[in-house]
Amino acid sequence: MWFNNISKDSDVVISSRVRFARSIEGYKFPHMLNSKELNMVINLIDKAIDKDEYHLFKMRDIDEVTQNSLKEQHLISKEFVGNNDGAIVSNEDNTIVVMVNEEDHLRIQSFESGFNIDKCYENIARFTDALSEKVKFAKSDKYGYLISCPTNIGSAMRVSVMMHLPALAKAKLLNKLFDQAMEIGISVRGLYGENSDGTGNIFQISNQKTLGVSDEDIMYNIKLVVTSIIEQERKAREILLKSNIALEDSIYRAYGILKNARTIEEEEALDLLSKVRLGVSAKVIPHIPLEQIQSLMVDIEPNTLKTILKEEFNKEEENNKRAEYIRKELI
Amino acid sequence: MKCQSCGKKEATVRYYENINGLKQEVHFCIDCANKVGLANVIDIFSPMFLPISEYHLDDGVACKTCGYTLADYSATGLLGCPDCYETFGSSLDDVFYKIHGKNRHIKMPDKLSKKSLSKEEAKNKEIKELKNKIKELIEEEKYEEAAKVRDEIKKLER
Repeated sequence: MWFNNISKDSDVVISSRVRFARSIEGYKFPHMLNSKELNMVINLIDKAIDKDEYHLFKMRDIDEVTQNSLKEQHLISKEFVGNNDGAIVSNEDNTIVVMVNEEDHLRIQSFESGFNIDKCYENIARFTDALSEKVKFAKSDKYGYLISCPTNIGSAMRVSVMMHLPALAKAKLLNKLFDQAMEIGISVRGLYGENSDGTGNIFQISNQKTLGVSDEDIMYNIKLVVTSIIEQERKAREILLKSNIALEDSIYRAYGILKNARTIEEEEALDLLSKVRLGVSAKVIPHIPLEQIQSLMVDIEPNTLKTILKEEFNKEEENNKRAEYIRKELI
Repeated sequence: MKCQSCGKKEATVRYYENINGLKQEVHFCIDCANKVGLANVIDIFSPMFLPISEYHLDDGVACKTCGYTLADYSATGLLGCPDCYETFGSSLDDVFYKIHGKNRHIKMPDKLSKKSLSKEEAKNKEIKELKNKIKELIEEEKYEEAAKVRDEIKKLER
């Protein structure tokens, strides 16, 4: 899986994603179709993909825990969970994951670890170009790609970068930065929930405007903002770590709790792992590989934990299992 | 465009007046718009998540393809089919302008990928497609045609 690796700028950037929305010509949008018609859309896509590289899974064949785990890994949207008329197309390492019959017929996504939106674009362009030879997408000269929600028409592209910004958060500099990003049409939100304050100090930076702009311009703007946030986060880390021992202390305390806790809730674990992630990427705790923290931050989520341990458990058992898993995994 | 009221600040609010059937478009800056008391004025530069229902769009027109109306759009925030864009274009242009700051897209390239396939890759792709075609032809019991395709592949693989 792509997120088990680390890559360019992984100290600050967790992952990059490019998403295209596409409609198939001659079909009403998914919310206007019945099950039979939605199934026709799935069959159409199934025939069009290259089976050597990609596989199609119908959502009705994927169990609930696995669906929720895919959501926790941010590979599918939370709205897509339980969509029995949907399907997922993906490749072996999940760098391409397509939701069929979500809000649009196609939500094509490309993922990379670290800050690598160019690679994402290259992959998604290759997939989408190949698909467009088999399936005709609805588009117009006036409005670009025609999809169900008018907020996304035009290029119908959303570029998102998931960032870990603990030092800027601690220095209370985030709001100012986000206001500036907003001014050039870039939105920032906490990872967990639409209006969340960013549990674990993880934030998603993405473009809002899609009409009247080229893909290149969108990418350029995102790069501009993300590059500048990376630099500032690094600077803030350096200053905070040098100025006093408080930050280093909180990193090691977090590590201590994770290494010893017997029961732990998801939110607390995430919060502590965020601190350890900072410690690892700033070389305060040099012996832990960043890949391991990166994986743990996803593994400890309830459904993903169930799929890894291959067992069912209730909420209380879950917290015990989580603590045990972290103790075992963390070096 | 400058504000038509103060003439100083940039006009970011468009307002339609309807006087005795004569439609007139007025452009104000956000301050003047607030001063003259235009209700529900929304600055186009802070348009990230405005509730669609604020538009009260409804002209009774239904999309010929899917039957969707602008009232449906106001309720769901979604359109019904690609043809809705043509049906409701003139009403939607204003919404697009508010959301995107523009209401027309740029010219789009046919292919997104900057990388073109190398000769080898192009050939492999063609062979793969022909092999798939053979499978289909055999399923349809069109053996003669399948044989022809097989010869084509042989030629390519040489």
